Amino acid sequence: MSEIIVGISDFKVSNNINDILITYALGSCVGVTIYDPVVKVGGLLHFMLPESSLDMRKAGENPAMFADTGIPFLFKTCYELGAKKKRMIVKVAGGASILDDANFFRIGQKNVTAMKKLFWKNNVLIEGEDTGSNCNRTFSIHISTGQAFVRTAHNGTRELV
Amino acid sequence: MISDKILKSIKNIPAFPAAAMKVMALIDDPNYSITDVADVVKYDQAITANILRICNSAYFGLRHKIVTINDAVMRLGQQNIVRAVQAAGVSTFYRKAKGYGLEANKLWEHSVGVALMTQILSKRIFKREDARLYTTALLHDIGKIIMGEFVDESFPQIHDLVSREGISFLDAEEKIIGINHADLGGRIASQWNFPKAMTDAIIYHHRPDLMQDEDNSGAWLVYLADQACIMMGIGLGSDGLAYKGLSEVIIKFKLRQKDFEECIMLMLEDLDRAREVIGMV
Ligand SMILES: [Fe+2]
Ligand SMILES: [Fe+2]
Repeated sequence: MSEIIVGISDFKVSNNINDILITYALGSCVGVTIYDPVVKVGGLLHFMLPESSLDMRKAGENPAMFADTGIPFLFKTCYELGAKKKRMIVKVAGGASILDDANFFRIGQKNVTAMKKLFWKNNVLIEGEDTGSNCNRTFSIHISTGQAFVRTAHNGTRELV
Repeated sequence: MISDKILKSIKNIPAFPAAAMKVMALIDDPNYSITDVADVVKYDQAITANILRICNSAYFGLRHKIVTINDAVMRLGQQNIVRAVQAAGVSTFYRKAKGYGLEANKLWEHSVGVALMTQILSKRIFKREDARLYTTALLHDIGKIIMGEFVDESFPQIHDLVSREGISFLDAEEKIIGINHADLGGRIASQWNFPKAMTDAIIYHHRPDLMQDEDNSGAWLVYLADQACIMMGIGLGSDGLAYKGLSEVIIKFKLRQKDFEECIMLMLEDLDRAREVIGMV
């Protein structure tokens, strides 16, 4: 098994059943895993902000930075490896917030909302979700099985189902 | 009641490097020259070595290897040299930092991220950089290097308090351990004879609203920069995001969400370029 690390504003896809895609320290950022069980193709995206309208140039350079450019990019890259949209299993984690979250800081909720809106518009179901709260999450997907895992300091590692 | 073990640990912390301290005093004079900085630094071997390392890193892409501190100072330029001296001086304290579920050097990466963010925010809000604030930000979580092992031992109780009573991690630390990492950092800063504004910014970095001195905008900038790094997961530990959000900071600095998000993007770019500095620990 080899761990492939996904950084912040980054994504990785794989069709190698020995790979585990993993991203550390999701705060307000959101992690999205997608998986096609038939061809065993999966991907993990770690986006940081909701909308690419903030900086179109940056979004062009690195689509993985924003929800609205990163998620379509993640899907497209998996299609290139033979994955099909109708077979995709989608799981999400992250989007945490600081306490008594003021308007200004609502990046966590905004990230989650932007992501859900996009999935809803495209008729994609989220099959596993662990979002919100104030905890630090590590998120991973095993390409061999498509299992996704969330790790937190207080709950240890748990499969996201 | 603070355990004797913690108080003893503070006493064992080495003195703050004299060279870094002198540079801090030096830059208070608006007419300081860059060669003055070189003169101070050249007597500190550890700092000199680190500065040469930064200078010869890929980031600066210099064709000829820099071997003397005077060359380094000329090449790095005023802003970079001051930042490099402070980072080189402070980094030694983070070398053995562990705790809060963090791997080695993550707390240092967090500190560098917060320091860079204070400069980006200061430029946007006050149209200037602030080298003293940079150093303060590098040290804001210095209390964590001692709190680390105590927090890890008591993590289940602290976390339980946070989730059951909805209090911040900071308050839970204080209830369970007897002191929080911000106050502990303040004690370390006092031991180093730091100026009050700097010590206050460390003590109040999670609660600048409790500070008496209302003119200490640096403390608010450290607070805001810290929140940004926490949200972005930079060196995020087991304490997670369980800190108090203070909406008045938006009004105080007249920042829009868009400004804040743009500053975050700039900070992540700077952090990418600061890999050599992060590698010092
Ligand atoms: Fe802190
Ligand atoms: Fe911090």
